[in-house]
Amino acid sequence: MTWLIRKIHIYAGLLTFAQLMIYGIAGVVAAIYPGGERPKTPQSVRYVPFAIPPSSSDKEVAALVYKTLDLPMARPVPDWYLRHTAENHLLLDFYNVNGIRRVVVMEKEGRLRVEEIHNSLWLFLEDIHAATPGDEGAPRLVHLWACWNELAMWTLLSFSVSGLWLWLAARALYGWAWALLAAGIGAIAVLWSVFR
Amino acid sequence: MGLARRGHWRHCSPVERVPVIQYPLLRTIHLLCGVFAVPALLLYGLSAVQMAHNKWFNVKPTVIEMEMPLQPGLGDGRQMTQEVMANRGLHGEIASVRKTPAGFESRVTVPGTVHEIRYDAVSGQARLKSSVAGFIGMLNRLHHAAGLRHEYIPLQLWGVLGGLVSLSILGLGVTGIWMWWLRKQERKWGLLLLAANLLYAITLLAMMRATGP
Repeated sequence: MTWLIRKIHIYAGLLTFAQLMIYGIAGVVAAIYPGGERPKTPQSVRYVPFAIPPSSSDKEVAALVYKTLDLPMARPVPDWYLRHTAENHLLLDFYNVNGIRRVVVMEKEGRLRVEEIHNSLWLFLEDIHAATPGDEGAPRLVHLWACWNELAMWTLLSFSVSGLWLWLAARALYGWAWALLAAGIGAIAVLWSVFR
Repeated sequence: MGLARRGHWRHCSPVERVPVIQYPLLRTIHLLCGVFAVPALLLYGLSAVQMAHNKWFNVKPTVIEMEMPLQPGLGDGRQMTQEVMANRGLHGEIASVRKTPAGFESRVTVPGTVHEIRYDAVSGQARLKSSVAGFIGMLNRLHHAAGLRHEYIPLQLWGVLGGLVSLSILGLGVTGIWMWWLRKQERKWGLLLLAANLLYAITLLAMMRATGP
């Protein structure tokens, strides 16, 4: 039984190695760069000619901008997130895992100002670790990633069980292992009780 | 295990030149990283399942509302918040303070609980709304709690723990793959699985990255 569990443990680990490494990287990045600290400065700015049909609502303009620009891996801006600049230009933020494409609709000038705000590779990996197949509106590439991510998630849970089995089957009396297990459980238990 | 003897290196293939650290040492490191991380991995894993399959769980928080009198005319929202926290025995981090036409609105957060305070400067009344998550909701909040720059010390400690667990996961991966390589019996199928995983992962990540911005 132990040899079978070991084989499954090894093969499952190899099959989801990249995802597991990304989980580790995501955790380290989250520790160093908590959610609020995202890049805000655009790396590039370009202008695209754009004419707004008369009497269009913000919602209709946003839909037309989305269709015109056809930005890769972008979703339509939800109605509740339609905003305006200080100059009352419609402001649309198209998010994807790489960053933001910020579009300002300059109606009088008949153009769109498109700013690109780029996330670093580390923030990209942090964001992509969270992709799930349940996100129905996700871009195709993200959905494909999410499918293997789902497998990695279940594999990680199974490792917790198979790893404990392999430890207890081989080295149940190893004191340092018990000490570190107690440290891990203790730290979580103490902090949980403090938070509650 | 094909230990290379001194002077033998130049006759070895690149594969045989992989440093042969003792397998037992690698296994010990793998074990220690694993047992330390396993409680947190179960927490992160279960909360990941909740986030991936939200409909399987009930994460509705319990909401408690109350009112309490404060001094009217308080001009400092943060001070007002601290007074409410001291009065009601609340703990956590002041996440935001916002001036409103009537007074102030603030949020105090701790993993699993959000306190929203609305203060009316004219009447001095403060309305406190506390949303307390259940077990699964708490797991979700702990999964998202991170960072090493918090005013609230327990949250800072949680950030440290999360960082250590993440480093342990990386250690598990490195030692795991090293051990697999030293164990020859799983090499053939293991290579196929690893190659499939890396090919899929690297291709998709590169394609996603290439779309910009």
